Amino acid sequence: MFAGKTDISLEELAAAIYGRLKMKKCGLILLALVLLVPVLFSVGCSSVAPVSNDDTAGSPTEVGTLVFTANGEEFIREGFLTKDGWELTFDQAYVTMGSITAYQTDPPYDTDQGWDIDYQVKVELDGIYSANLADPASDPAELEELAEVPAGHFNALSWTMVRAVEGPSAGYSLFLTGQAEKNGRVIDFTLGIEQEVAYLGGDYIGDERKGIVATGEIAELEMTYHFDHLFGDGEEDLDDPLNEEALGFEPLAALAVDGVLEADLASLEGALSSADFELLLSILTHFGHVGEGHCLAQFID
Amino acid sequence: MLYKIYSLGLFLLFTAVAAICLFYTLPAAVVQAHGVELEYIKRDAIEVTARYDSGAPMAEAQVAVFAPGSPAEPWLTGTCDSDGRFFFLPDPEITGLWEVQVRQAGHGGLLRIEVDESGIGPVGSAGFTGLQILIMTAAVIWGLIGTALYFSRRQPE
Repeated sequence: MFAGKTDISLEELAAAIYGRLKMKKCGLILLALVLLVPVLFSVGCSSVAPVSNDDTAGSPTEVGTLVFTANGEEFIREGFLTKDGWELTFDQAYVTMGSITAYQTDPPYDTDQGWDIDYQVKVELDGIYSANLADPASDPAELEELAEVPAGHFNALSWTMVRAVEGPSAGYSLFLTGQAEKNGRVIDFTLGIEQEVAYLGGDYIGDERKGIVATGEIAELEMTYHFDHLFGDGEEDLDDPLNEEALGFEPLAALAVDGVLEADLASLEGALSSADFELLLSILTHFGHVGEGHCLAQFID
Repeated sequence: MLYKIYSLGLFLLFTAVAAICLFYTLPAAVVQAHGVELEYIKRDAIEVTARYDSGAPMAEAQVAVFAPGSPAEPWLTGTCDSDGRFFFLPDPEITGLWEVQVRQAGHGGLLRIEVDESGIGPVGSAGFTGLQILIMTAAVIWGLIGTALYFSRRQPE
């Protein structure tokens, strides 16, 4: 083929080969696009499939019911002692949630992986749900029951804490009313938090496993809110990491007038010290849990 | 004469039965009273160490171990020691992803450990993320297009 020419360069060799193949520019580009399409399609499937993208997931005949719940734990239903000695009781503790989505993931999702979640099955609720977690019946509060979901282990959960558009907590994603008492001093408080937050967590961690849907059976999955992260826990040591990262109630009590505190995030930004306000914002990023499992969190603007 | 032979036979029969009974019962009683048998087998065990973000050990934390395929019922429960450590020996015949849940005072975490026929291994990689695959795909495609354009350029006369 190249007899008689021994000093041919690599470039000339390649050009000769391609020349022999008679492949035109358009043909090569077309070939590249043909290769690109199936690869991109396979990538896209893992992030846009509405229900299932894995043959190993439960078939349509293997379905059960998934009940989405929210829980503020005994802290909010029964009241508790803050890290700085205020006895809190709550009349209302409304949390409003949207974009509630449960996933079956294998390998199991872990928050160390970040926000990119690979799943085989995804089910979601379309609506916005408000729940009064201070209600004694909210143990937990049932938000919605989703029937005909593929059987399997829903081991990841994402949702947003969003501002309510109606009801007692309209305008706020978190809305608290109640009484605080310390050394005979009583404060009636109303606190509204406008900030919206997105959460993504892994498997439920608690006394029992949750989110495991057997065929024809009902399973629960819970969004859990840790109010002790906000006010601290007087039953724990003051140097407990939980208390060191909590705001407590004293900075809020200092803003009360004639035994009444009415505040929202907008007013607190100017009223609290900048350190306390930043602390309050940071608490919102570890306020939502899946049971005792921590979640990723980011503010929605 | 016949009677003597019969008596002797009976005597020998009873003696043999008694000897057999002694052989099987007496030695056994002696072994049960004084002997023990100790054996050991070397196996791979799992040591779990549980700490808070601060580095403090989760002393006496509750532990629940879930075998592959049985996520709802704990295969084993226990508590960490004062250093937040917990040891357990998974059943090597139950291969797959074992899960260890550790909880204390409202905090908890879940650890996953792969056990296959060859023993205990690290948790497998979650693989490439969608973004990583996209970037790699784009790089390959760009290379193909670039190569195509290079070789299809008009050669100088």
